[in-house]
Amino acid sequence: MVFNLLTFLVDLGTTYALYLAVSLTLNLEAGFAGVPNFGKVMFVAGGAAIAGSVIGRLSVIVLGINVHGDYNAVVPQLIPQIDPLLASNFVLSMALLLLGIVLAAGMGGVMGYFASYPAIHLREDYLGMLLLAAAQLFQIFLGGWTPFINGTQGIEVPDLFHWADVGVGVRDAVILVFLAAFAFLVYVYVERVARSPLGRTLRAVRDNEVAARALGKNDVVIRRDVIIVASAISGMAGALLTFYAGAVGAETWTRITWTFWIWVMVIMGGAANNGGVALGAFFFTLLFKVVDQVKFYFSGYIPFDVNWLEYMSFAALLILILAFRPGGILPEKSSLTLPWRTVAEIVQANQRSPVRTDQPTEPLGGERRSEADRPG
Amino acid sequence: MAIGLTLTYLTTKVPNFAYGSFVTIGIYTSYTLYRLDALNPYLSTPIAFLVGAVSSVGMYLGILRVLARRGSSLVALMISTLALDIAFIGIFGIYTDNLYNHYQLIDSKSFYQLGGDFTLYGVPGLTYVAPISLGCITTILFILLTQTKFGIAMRASVENPSLARVVGINVEKTYVFAWLLAGGFAALAGSFYTLALPGSVDSGSKLIVEIFSASVLGGLASIYGAVLGGLIIGASEILVTDAGTQLFGSWVLVYQKGIPLVIMVITLLFLPQGLVSIDWRNLPRSVSSINLRKIRQMVRRR
Repeated sequence: MVFNLLTFLVDLGTTYALYLAVSLTLNLEAGFAGVPNFGKVMFVAGGAAIAGSVIGRLSVIVLGINVHGDYNAVVPQLIPQIDPLLASNFVLSMALLLLGIVLAAGMGGVMGYFASYPAIHLREDYLGMLLLAAAQLFQIFLGGWTPFINGTQGIEVPDLFHWADVGVGVRDAVILVFLAAFAFLVYVYVERVARSPLGRTLRAVRDNEVAARALGKNDVVIRRDVIIVASAISGMAGALLTFYAGAVGAETWTRITWTFWIWVMVIMGGAANNGGVALGAFFFTLLFKVVDQVKFYFSGYIPFDVNWLEYMSFAALLILILAFRPGGILPEKSSLTLPWRTVAEIVQANQRSPVRTDQPTEPLGGERRSEADRPG
Repeated sequence: MAIGLTLTYLTTKVPNFAYGSFVTIGIYTSYTLYRLDALNPYLSTPIAFLVGAVSSVGMYLGILRVLARRGSSLVALMISTLALDIAFIGIFGIYTDNLYNHYQLIDSKSFYQLGGDFTLYGVPGLTYVAPISLGCITTILFILLTQTKFGIAMRASVENPSLARVVGINVEKTYVFAWLLAGGFAALAGSFYTLALPGSVDSGSKLIVEIFSASVLGGLASIYGAVLGGLIIGASEILVTDAGTQLFGSWVLVYQKGIPLVIMVITLLFLPQGLVSIDWRNLPRSVSSINLRKIRQMVRRR
């Protein structure tokens, strides 16, 4: 086997971008809001499946190709017809891509709502169990309902990036840029949420539900919204993976690949710390890809499939992290509010404003500041 | 199966995601003994019970208790059981690869039901043996928990560990015993499973939907509830699927697993404390234990 560094790096980057996006959403749920989502795979797979299923059919209709017989059965013959047409029509390709992502986001969001609804009023262990069971069922459903994505055999998906297929590796590079941009946007979004008052509310709900409720925060609504948003983003990531891989099937999505590994990334990096999760996802992806590269050299010496050893070692790694460094590589930082001195300076600056006379009759900024200005 | 999950949940308050793996342990113990020594799966059930019990206790002592003592949160414990489930799948994979390589068992990864079941009046023996053994297990557990000193100590340490410690009960010992029973029952169920259904490396993990549903329906806090929940889930799955197949055709079979999930959702929506909370002799007990748990959790969070 020839080891090609550039191919390896592009592959690493693509996988990292996808895993980063999904692990950040899990961090939003589990790290910040304290919602243990043990059914992550369901939302990623849902997005991937609907994007693969609908976009393929839609492109056939838009391009006016006649389908003889069942779409799923003839799609391998259709793809060579669709791809060149899509390649010559950049705008249509991108429109379909966008539509696929939006569809996947919608699917993820709706599934998040329905999956979380029964258990959200209950404690985290019930929620975890329900989501795990629902994910297992969804997998069975994907494998069983053949009209959707042809069950476990899967279907091919038209290549929306065929216009970039002008040289060796150009398509992969373009997709890498796309996914990197997506992951970056997700990072910025999650980081902004984490630093906003909403982020502090999420932590409050996580740390002390009763106190948060007493302060007028509706913990049920907050948790539900977090699940919906995170699931929608996960669905988008699933759709992007489908378009990158060019096929979607029920076998890709297992509890191990898209729930357990994502959890390893979050725990390894540090829950409720986005930078840590980014680091954790990177280390995990690197480890995973390197093991992928070298494991075939060992396969002659070990009397069993190396994959099993990989499962065990990642499980052991996770348990060791939980035991010896439960905070991860970068543990959660407490969110800092402004120091008292700064607050006092701001208040004083307002008091010294030109409008101000001896009597605090008309403070500058409405009710809230007048409350703060009042001495004592 | 649900009995065991409820037992582990009672003692550690953690839903055990690796529980399906103990079922797989039972499945493979029976499979190996049947293929290599041609031992009837009925005869290998005690061995399966032992293997399952030992690995369950090992898991509790070796990993969960260590993590719990280090002050891991509930979610951390849940994720560690998920990790163990994955690790078990890896172990089964290595094990089956070895079976394949050394003994040329080509169906080690996934096999059809094993032979060796007897028939009585034209019905497979399992239809008699499984309910009878369930009855025996429930009776033994009932006697153990209500009549013996050790069983009462066990219940005490489940309901109020600190008070039980004050009275002088060795709480840890009772917990270990609960895990032993749990792993044993799961493996026992797994070894019966081989007689009726095809098995594979991940068949235990796939059963998790039914196990959880049965436990939740039963109320997670009551062993008798788990028995009832398991019966209802199993019966409804088969009955509804049969009716559905007759009404709509065989495609319904694929979605068989949806039934336990639907039941679980309905339970969580209308009866979050499970069947035992409706009317049961032990109603005050289960309610009080739940309240205690809530209070304890609130204290821990603070």
